[in-house]
Amino acid sequence: MTGEITLEKTDAAAPDEWVEKPITAKKENESARIERKFQLLVKEWREETSHLSSMTKLVMHPKYQNIIGLGPAVLPILFRELQKSPDHWFWALSAITEEDPTNPEDAGDLRKMTDAWLKWAREKGYL
Amino acid sequence: MSAELESCFSNLKPSSYKTTSERTPLYNCIAFAAGETHRWWWPIGGYWPKPAPCNETVDSFIRAFDILGYSPCDDGTLEEGFEKVAIYIDERGTPTHMAKQLPSGMWISKCGQLEDIEHETLEALSGFGPTEYGVVARFLKRAIQKRAIQK
Repeated sequence: MTGEITLEKTDAAAPDEWVEKPITAKKENESARIERKFQLLVKEWREETSHLSSMTKLVMHPKYQNIIGLGPAVLPILFRELQKSPDHWFWALSAITEEDPTNPEDAGDLRKMTDAWLKWAREKGYL
Repeated sequence: MSAELESCFSNLKPSSYKTTSERTPLYNCIAFAAGETHRWWWPIGGYWPKPAPCNETVDSFIRAFDILGYSPCDDGTLEEGFEKVAIYIDERGTPTHMAKQLPSGMWISKCGQLEDIEHETLEALSGFGPTEYGVVARFLKRAIQKRAIQK
């Protein structure tokens, strides 16, 4: 990809001017945008659900569904979050990847489920 | 004390409860009532003991605790030789929370991913505000096992 360029329209300063930007820079911008969006959603999701025990309510919450809606681009972020500490990201991971590497006997055990997903992420090249 | 808990539960007064753990997502109130602190119990998307049905009904919760030796009882009155749990439901009748009675008569709860608390009354977590647990629908009890007392 190095050396490739894309054309983007500039905004306020020269609205009709097209400039060349490297594709890598564009991808970095997109990645940063997803990261910002994720951090905002996860903050709101935690604020609105931290008192809940219902797994259904946790994962069907609109903010959690919005995180799923970010699609495959959010996977590296979810895996980095899991590396920091276990959390309820397994439903989102399964929804996005259509995979479930966890052992059914470990249902509900966030530490073991985290280990299984991080192993899967390494095998698939996400980490 | 926890400002976040008090903002969730309007009946939770600073004088009537104390926090007894750090917050953690590793287990929830159902696990805590069942005596576990390493996994999240829920009939859908969590651990749920077989052969209790995997649906969000009071009957399913009664079945799950039946496996642990609990059976329905009339109320939450302290009875010597027995331990009790309470099942909260929302306005639709869906279980939201469980609390467990201590030998002292106090109740203990794990509040979602927040802290464990010890509270004087079940009403402390009751109510139909957006973050409250509804009302207690059923009580279950089981004889306190000798091995549990010896611990």
